[in-house]
Amino acid sequence: MGLGFLHRHRGSTPYLLLAPGMLFLVVFFLVPLGFLAYQSLESGSIDFGYAFTWAWDNYSSAISGYGTQFKRSFVYAGIATAIALLVSYPVAYWIAFRGGRWKNLLLLCIVAPFFVTYLIRTLAWQTILSDNGLVVRTLGSLHLLGVLGQDGHILATGTAVVAGITYNFLPFMALPLYVSLEQIDHTLIEAAEDLYASKLTAFFRVTFPLSLPGVVAGTLLTFIPAAGDFINAQLLGSTTNHMIGNVINSKYNELIDYPAAAAMSFILMAIILALVLIYARAVGSEKLTG
Amino acid sequence: MTSIAAEGRRTRPNALSRAWAFVLRHVLTVYSLLFFLYLMLPIAVVIVFSFNHPAGRFNYTWRGFTWDNWLNWNAVPGIQSAITLSLEIALFASIVATALGTLIALALVRYGFRGRGTTNLIIFLPLSTPEIVLGASLATLFLHSASYGLSIPFGFWTILIAHIMFCISFAVVTVKARLIGFDRHLEEAAMDLGANEWTTFVKVTLPLIAPAILAALLLCFAISVDDFVVTYFNAGNQVTFPIFVWGAARVATPPQINVIGTAIFGIAVTLMLVNVFLQNRRAKQG
Amino acid sequence: MTDQITRRVFLRRAAASGSILTVPGLLAACGGGKSSPGATSDTTSHQLAKTLHFSNWTLYIDNVKGGGHPSLEQFQKKYGVHVDYREDINDNPTFFSKIEPDLERGQSTGRDIIVMTDNSRYPALLVQKGWVEKLDKSAIPNIKNLVPQQRNPSWDPNREHSLPWQSGFTGIGWNEKLTDPVTSMGDLLGNKKLKGKVGLLTEFADTLALVMAYNGDDPSHVTDQTFNKAMNTIQKAVDSGQIRQFYGNDYASALSSGDLVATMAWSGDIVQLQADNSHLKWQLPVDGGDIWTDNMLIPKGGNVYTASVYMNFVYEPKIAAEIEDYVNYVCPVLGAKEALVKKDPAIANNPLIFPTKQMLDNAHVMDPTAVNNEKYQTAWQNLTSA
Repeated sequence: MGLGFLHRHRGSTPYLLLAPGMLFLVVFFLVPLGFLAYQSLESGSIDFGYAFTWAWDNYSSAISGYGTQFKRSFVYAGIATAIALLVSYPVAYWIAFRGGRWKNLLLLCIVAPFFVTYLIRTLAWQTILSDNGLVVRTLGSLHLLGVLGQDGHILATGTAVVAGITYNFLPFMALPLYVSLEQIDHTLIEAAEDLYASKLTAFFRVTFPLSLPGVVAGTLLTFIPAAGDFINAQLLGSTTNHMIGNVINSKYNELIDYPAAAAMSFILMAIILALVLIYARAVGSEKLTG
Repeated sequence: MTSIAAEGRRTRPNALSRAWAFVLRHVLTVYSLLFFLYLMLPIAVVIVFSFNHPAGRFNYTWRGFTWDNWLNWNAVPGIQSAITLSLEIALFASIVATALGTLIALALVRYGFRGRGTTNLIIFLPLSTPEIVLGASLATLFLHSASYGLSIPFGFWTILIAHIMFCISFAVVTVKARLIGFDRHLEEAAMDLGANEWTTFVKVTLPLIAPAILAALLLCFAISVDDFVVTYFNAGNQVTFPIFVWGAARVATPPQINVIGTAIFGIAVTLMLVNVFLQNRRAKQG
Repeated sequence: MTDQITRRVFLRRAAASGSILTVPGLLAACGGGKSSPGATSDTTSHQLAKTLHFSNWTLYIDNVKGGGHPSLEQFQKKYGVHVDYREDINDNPTFFSKIEPDLERGQSTGRDIIVMTDNSRYPALLVQKGWVEKLDKSAIPNIKNLVPQQRNPSWDPNREHSLPWQSGFTGIGWNEKLTDPVTSMGDLLGNKKLKGKVGLLTEFADTLALVMAYNGDDPSHVTDQTFNKAMNTIQKAVDSGQIRQFYGNDYASALSSGDLVATMAWSGDIVQLQADNSHLKWQLPVDGGDIWTDNMLIPKGGNVYTASVYMNFVYEPKIAAEIEDYVNYVCPVLGAKEALVKKDPAIANNPLIFPTKQMLDNAHVMDPTAVNNEKYQTAWQNLTSA
């Protein structure tokens, strides 16, 4: 099959190129979602088997039974995203504007820690936040432990979970921020300053708005995976901090209650999609594509 | 700074603004350094404790320094096969995903066709689906595969399929970015000089997008080695390295886990340093 | 001797053992997941397989530094069978969910022996669904060494499908450096000084049995009323912040690092943990603890003869004594104590390993119907995972 073939069938070239990859995605991404939908409407148990019964009550019992966990997931993910944004923005700015020829090296410094396996990093936080560790002792002597922690410990509280989520998703926030900040045309800022804007005003009226595509991308890339996470809650939190991911995991892998887990997964996806759409509308959809 | 701009510039920057600029300049630097320290904190703990000599099952308090864990990195039963499996899967998955992804990227950037919006959507969706949903839905597919005559047991192949699936989107995005900025004139020049399409593709296009393909390969490899949630749902009996860590964390955390973690970190950093060094060299050479 | 099996070899073997069963298994799967009558199981051949695939809990067999297991090596030498020993069971539900898809489809799980706890629903479930093989008792003459109290469990009355591996007590472990002795569930759940540093177990039967005993109810006969009472007691402790978390095996790391001051704990664990932290102590609660048994089972498709021969091997008092010397849980084999007295009298006389009648009387066995009750299990999961 030489290029002549592609010449003659010019119109079909893109489809041929797309076919293998898209077929793979359709079969192993879309179809499974279909199966999951089918399973979410089944009822039954491991002892007696499952049957498709249009069991919409899987959905209603998921919401009524685990509404707290749903809410908690979005609250934790939201707080973590907000903190990640506030914390990473200055650094992204610093690298983009002051990095000079060290830009790539500095980016490496941000990304490198995240080459260590996710689980190992989170376990390290278990050690760092341990009751007899430096962090807890310092916070205790600063009398902040009552505020941030609970009964003298940070682990097994919501604070630890949010801290873990924030840390683990930092590069997903920092890198998009950097990319859009780096692309800003500096002459625009200079023009603003020429027009008597102070540095601060220039930042808020020119730089920040131009970096919004990065902010949007970063918040989405952080919030979405964070909402479905369960590892931080499992390793750093307690039962009262469990997120919907923990419930789905336990339903699927321990209780073997596939229909319930499937229904919860769809509700999670639906809420995320809704939030993303609202967000996109609020920010203006051009910002999404930059 | 052009001379026009210099003229139009305010002649007397007020003191507040100057002070602010000074503070900003240094606060930002200090802050960024603190940020990097914060990022490295858990990594430092991992590295330090890889040299720990724990008394019992757990590696939480420092007892003493030892080279033992590094010398006997595979003394923990199961750790060697876990890391081997992770590397194998990552290798195959990244190659296949990058190949498929590059083809898709070429189609998306170079051709107009119907269904472009849908294609973009299908590629974007896996990136915006929580891993737990990806894992559970794939597992459901494999569980139900028996009733369609295709019994796929959980194991190596299901893990591989899962990894290829979520890596394709990353590969597409990476290669696409490079293709968009690609100068078609080079290809046209080659063809004007008599090269046919195939030769042009091989001798001009491919070398120019090679960095992106390499980047996609590395990105997919890194994502695959680190993946836990999707793998956990679809691994059956097989144990990849993250699954091994998860199991170990509940019973006994041998220091060898830290050893492997540090090794992965070290190799990754070295590779990226080399890459940065080469890029700077290339930039200097113009 | 390493227990490495390359993935390729393993796949080939799994495929070989699975291919015998796949076609009838597929038919069975289409029929709705019941056990496949057509599946051929290796019950009649008296030929030893080349490899025995044994999945067990961690630190549950004799081991030496560097990863070797002397008792397994002796078995290998005596019978020429290589043991592929995998410590991949961390808790009952997760392990079951790993093998369930294969069992459901009538495919081999790749294992000849698995070990599951009788106070979870899984041994009974496996037997009920026909997902375990019958033992080849002709190959297990040493079954006569099984301690009398283990001979007729309700879920396997004639020991057709299982043999105990180890038993264990659930009690309370505490760090004597950080607290006074914690010897009752009341103390664990109510003592304000321990707030936020107390752990309970995720295992349904363990935690509920101890709480019910504390409430004055009988764990071996559970009613809705006693169940709800126990759940309320626990919920109160969770809401007040007394309970830090529900733990699986991982209570051990929190206890030894000091994040937990007192927790429900398994008897054998404490002995091992004292190497990490010499201040750890353990006791059965004064109101009563519980006793459970981990059982060896042969999942469908496993090699019955080889597995049975191995079971017979570990019921040899001498071998049981060797294993007990390391594992420090409760031994189910008669004669092991006598075999140990000379070699390691401390272990032989340790009531945690060879318990007195008084201890056995103070330890309850959880009502199996409660363990199998779907409603209770869901309520429990909501409490601990949600």
